[in-house]
Amino acid sequence: MVKSIITRRDFIGATAAAGAGLLLTSCSPDAGQPAAGKKPGGSDLHIALIGYGAEGAVLMDSLIKIDGIQIVAICDIWEYHRLEGQRLLKAYGTEARAYENYEDLLDKEKDLQAVIVATPDFWHAPITNACLKAGLHVYCEKMMSNTIEGARSMVQTMRETGKLLQIGHQRRSNPRYLFAKRRLLDTAKICGRQTAAQAQWNRAVTEDFGWPRKYAMPADQLAKYGYQDMHQFRNWRWFKALGGGPLSDLGAHQIDIFNWWFGMTPQSVMASGGVDYYKTHEWYDNAMVIYEFPLPQGVARAFYQVQTTTSAGGGYFEMFMGDEGTLKMSEDPSLCAIYREARAPSWDDLVQKGYIRAKVSATAAADAVKVDVRETAPLAEFEIPVFFNKPPHMPHLENFFNAIRGTAKLNCPADEAFRSEYVIHKANEAIPAGQRVAITPQEVEA
Amino acid sequence: MSESNENGKSDACCGGGDCGSFMAFLVLRLWLGVRALVTGIEKFGAYANIQKPLIDPSTGQPDSSGVLVNVSVKYYSLTNYSGIPPSLKDRFTNEPLLPKFGLTAFDHLLGPAFILSGVMLLLGLGTRLSLFLMALIYVALTIGLILIKQDDGISWLGIHIALVAFALTLVKHNKFELFKKW
Repeated sequence: MVKSIITRRDFIGATAAAGAGLLLTSCSPDAGQPAAGKKPGGSDLHIALIGYGAEGAVLMDSLIKIDGIQIVAICDIWEYHRLEGQRLLKAYGTEARAYENYEDLLDKEKDLQAVIVATPDFWHAPITNACLKAGLHVYCEKMMSNTIEGARSMVQTMRETGKLLQIGHQRRSNPRYLFAKRRLLDTAKICGRQTAAQAQWNRAVTEDFGWPRKYAMPADQLAKYGYQDMHQFRNWRWFKALGGGPLSDLGAHQIDIFNWWFGMTPQSVMASGGVDYYKTHEWYDNAMVIYEFPLPQGVARAFYQVQTTTSAGGGYFEMFMGDEGTLKMSEDPSLCAIYREARAPSWDDLVQKGYIRAKVSATAAADAVKVDVRETAPLAEFEIPVFFNKPPHMPHLENFFNAIRGTAKLNCPADEAFRSEYVIHKANEAIPAGQRVAITPQEVEA
Repeated sequence: MSESNENGKSDACCGGGDCGSFMAFLVLRLWLGVRALVTGIEKFGAYANIQKPLIDPSTGQPDSSGVLVNVSVKYYSLTNYSGIPPSLKDRFTNEPLLPKFGLTAFDHLLGPAFILSGVMLLLGLGTRLSLFLMALIYVALTIGLILIKQDDGISWLGIHIALVAFALTLVKHNKFELFKKW
């Protein structure tokens, strides 16, 4: 009897101590997780960044987080930007050589494998073509060029040189977009028969960019690189000889999603727009576009609008609508949603798989009051509970570098991007034409 | 001292005691001890979201898109400790009959007191004393709930007090104690 009590005491004491230790110290969710933080060493690929303006800085934010690459050179015609880029890289322990001219960079940097091009659009084609011919792989920001001919020349050079040319439609590598397309749109056919699409980018009024006066470039240097003055250099997106305007800057990403997700190019476009607000711009400050996509089940019309004078109307998103549901995507996860039509089959299996999640509405749909007998009952809303934890451009850049290493295929090669960029150029043409512009499957091929 | 059953015979399975009363106290002791111990431990618990790859159910592998999902995981840590739930603490703060220093002290002591009384009762370290300590905790909680007019909670605590009182009446049938004096 005594022996059994001692045994019980020992057991209780040992169990209590072990249990308390486990409960209070080892049940942290971080237990066993690697520490977040810095990438390990490694510099397999030597790259250069050509163009360190606003977009170049966005790309740099991703590049410095990617393992296995080293930015050895930075190129920008403006000293102010070059110094800024060098300072940033130095803060991350990288001494990058700086160049004003991309031709000098190509002459002197003989250990490069790839370049990232983030210059104004009208420089994309000449720089990209030169880099491809120099034997480098190129990641070029969209738009490919401010002209169709320029974009086509890039595809041709890519084919001639056999080098990789990725275009910066970064949503094509966005894990959330890949997931939504593969799992929800293509496999689950969550929209049913697709009948329409809508996308927009509404942005509030912004002032033109300025510049520190002491860093103003002299007139001859500006002229050498194709600019009339510093104002045009800093605000090139609004000038027809240099860029493509808001349909190109903002709409390109989203109109590309129309093509990608419908799996085809449109058969026509009509559009309206104008320079109605800004006094110093050449490109339209607002535009509304309608494309017709000849899907196998019937035509789906896609409406796109870009506003640069108001941020109302829901921000920026791409929405695919069908007779069973609507899938609304955005680079901003808070703007994404799925709406289920009453006639849709059960989505319970998608909920069970964790692909979608019913959204708890503050107001019960049943309590909503119909104001018109023809009004459809409010739709059930769902969320897409998946995410990724990288800057938006990082997966697309990683895809490019992995393709160079031979471990991936480009998600947006130039010939694929050309089809989207062609129909964007056509929308810009349709506005002054004031009529429906036909687009054939043959003309969208580079 | 042994007790007899209805037939005037000692119950051999309980070493000569009242087997039913012994078992009644044992289950009550277990319930009250576990109730207090786990309640105290829970005050060190919290939930955190951790990011994990979405698993493709058809392959059991991470989804090829590379997306992540948040998984809510419960964990325990000393830093999580919260004696009085924050929603109630805010209401107690405005009660004139609850001085701030008293509220702070009670907040700090509540969890450890639950754990202490639960461990004492389960191990038999002063069974009567542990039951009395437990009753004092429930009385203190009842005072707080009276002040903020939480009648449902008061009834709930009343049941606990009744169980503790019942346990004190049965404690004479107790066995398996590490420290018998109290």
